[in-house]
Parts: sequence; structure tokens; C-alpha cells
Amino acid sequence: MNSLSQTKNKIRCLIIDDDPFIQDLLEDKLSQYFQEIQILAVASSGNEGIEKITTLQPDLIFLDVEMSDMTGFEMLSRLDDITFKTIFITSYNHYAIKAIRFNALDYLLKPFDLEELKNAIKRYKKYKKRQGHFDNVPLALSNLRSKDISSQILTLKTQQGVLQLKLKDIIYLEGDGNYSNIHLTKNKKELISKTLSDLEELLDDKGFFRCHKSYLINKSHIASNPKSFSVTLSDNVTIPISRRKKEAFKIWFNQSF
Amino acid sequence: MYIMDVKWNNTSYIDLQNIINISRGNQDRILKYLNQFKELIPERMGYLKMSLKNGDRIMIRQILHKMSPQLQFFGIKDITTPIQRMEFEYQTMPIKELEALVNEIIAKLEGAVAEVSKIIDSNFE
Repeated sequence: MNSLSQTKNKIRCLIIDDDPFIQDLLEDKLSQYFQEIQILAVASSGNEGIEKITTLQPDLIFLDVEMSDMTGFEMLSRLDDITFKTIFITSYNHYAIKAIRFNALDYLLKPFDLEELKNAIKRYKKYKKRQGHFDNVPLALSNLRSKDISSQILTLKTQQGVLQLKLKDIIYLEGDGNYSNIHLTKNKKELISKTLSDLEELLDDKGFFRCHKSYLINKSHIASNPKSFSVTLSDNVTIPISRRKKEAFKIWFNQSF
Repeated sequence: MYIMDVKWNNTSYIDLQNIINISRGNQDRILKYLNQFKELIPERMGYLKMSLKNGDRIMIRQILHKMSPQLQFFGIKDITTPIQRMEFEYQTMPIKELEALVNEIIAKLEGAVAEVSKIIDSNFE
């Protein structure tokens, strides 16, 4: 293979982060371990990132969630068209991780474990192979813009592909070991391989409440005033409220969203 | 100079194993990371002290958040937990407690910077 075709086959990427240490570290790791990656440029701010994306048209960007001039999400929302894949980069436990997970976006934790970086590049290649691929960044931006929580869409990666559910269509979730059943309107149901605790983490600030070890309910589907130890939902199913959760349930139920 | 010549294992604040790994024995790279630490951390410590003086909780969180990957990379012991606490409790933590926590972090960082400077002086200059 000549050098021109080698360059042509490379994944053209941009690093956008305002921390010089992170820029150097990611650049070193990518150039040392990933021959298939070509680093087009490094941008030190959101504004510089927009400029570089527009002029260089990368395939993939590594984007810091929190920069000094804007967040990574703000930067993406300022672009007219998103024709590249984004891998968000963030420090552990950042509050944005919740939004990233809710939208099933790809992310890496700084200072970058090599195996995780390898997996992220693998996922990118897989994504690239699939024609008519699914990119959840536009949906994530729309979710972040949406003031009405119930119109937000939860994205879950499953073995079959990607499942997208409007929050307003979810009546309740039922845990079953490592799996959960998601009970939806119109008598629909989805089984997914996530624990109820995983889902609770994604939904607990979106009008959902874990009223029992096996149930997570959607407030907007509570059909009538709850009884002491149970609540009836819009599909006429009655869900128990555990003794331990009774007081917390009362507080949650009286809160407005 | 070979990597073995660098006296990096007599440290009490930092652990340079990550730098050794990423540098693959390249002395220039090792020096680049050490110099970067020596420049960036005192600058950020200065901002941190100023923000503490101004009682600017948001800025304190932001500075610590920005520093934390580099501190993790340099293996600075016992610093992850206080920084993680700050990430979530910066708005609610009583000011006295916040001050004590930040001062504790600053003291460790001062030790780490001194150690990095010593390594540079004794191995690279």
C-alpha cells in the first residue's frame, strides 16, 4: 500500500480540550498505539474546535465536556451539521456523565485507560462499517434543549441495536436480576440487560422513583392518589410501595417537576 | 541518559510509573510531562488560593476538576477522594470544611511540585 492510500484509510481525528496536559497525553497515546489514527489538529477551546471542524472535516473528535469558553455540548449545538463521530472526554464523576449515559453517548474518562481507549476506537470502527449508522448526538442535543422532561428520549444500547424510548411512554420499570422489563403505553414491553439500579441512576431526576426494590415508577403515569403502601398506574397495574420508601415516596409525590 | 538513570522511585508524593509507561523510555517525553506539571500545577494552585480567598466555590470546583486527571496520572496519593467530594459537595459543604479540604489538597500539591522539581534538577539539568 502506498503512503497516499495509507493516509486515505486513516481515521482523521481532532482533539478538543483546553488542558495542555490532556492534549499531550491523548496525542501521545493515540500516536503510539493507534497507527490507523491521523491527528489532524488539537484545539484548545470550543471556538477553536468549531473552526477546526469546519475547515478540516474530521471523521472523529475527542471532545472535552467542560472547557473554559463553552461546554462540549454547546460547541456541538453551534455547528450546522454533525458529520463526524464524537467521543466525549471527562474526569470521573463529572455531573455531565449522567447526561452522557442517558443519551448512550460514547465517552472516556481522563487520564485514559489504554484498554478503554482501544475499545472506544473499536466501537468507532464498528460504527463506521455500518452504513446508515445511528448517531445519537443530535438526539442528545435535542434532549438537552428540551425543557419538558417527558418529551425527552432515553437511549439504551442493547444486543440487538439501539432502543429509544420517550419518557412519557414509560409507565414503570420492573427489575429482574441483571435484567429489567420496561412497561410501556399501548401494552408494549421491552426486556433489557440492565439492572433496575442502572436505570434508576439514569431516571431518578426525570420524574421516576424507586418505590420498591423491584419497581421504578413514572410520576406522570400515576392514575389516582396513592394508598399507604401501593400506587395504581395508568395501565391499571398496582405497584407496591415498600415500608422503607414510604416517607421518601410522599416527599417525591408532592414535589412538582 | 537511559530511563534507568532517572531516580524516580524514591518519591513520597508522586508515582511516575504512568509517565515511564507513556514515554517508553524517551527522556524528552518524560521531561515534557515533568515540566508541564511544574508549570501548570503551581499556576492552578495560585488560582485555587485566590478562589478560596474569594469564597468562590464554583471556581474551586472547576480548578480541581481541571487538575484531577493530571494528579491521577502523577499518582498523587490520597487526593482523589477529597477532589471527588468537592465535585459533588462544593455548594453544600460548610465553608470551614471546604477551606480545610482545599488547604489539605494544596499542601499535598506543594509537596508534589517540590518533588517534581527535584527530579528535574537532579536528572535532567
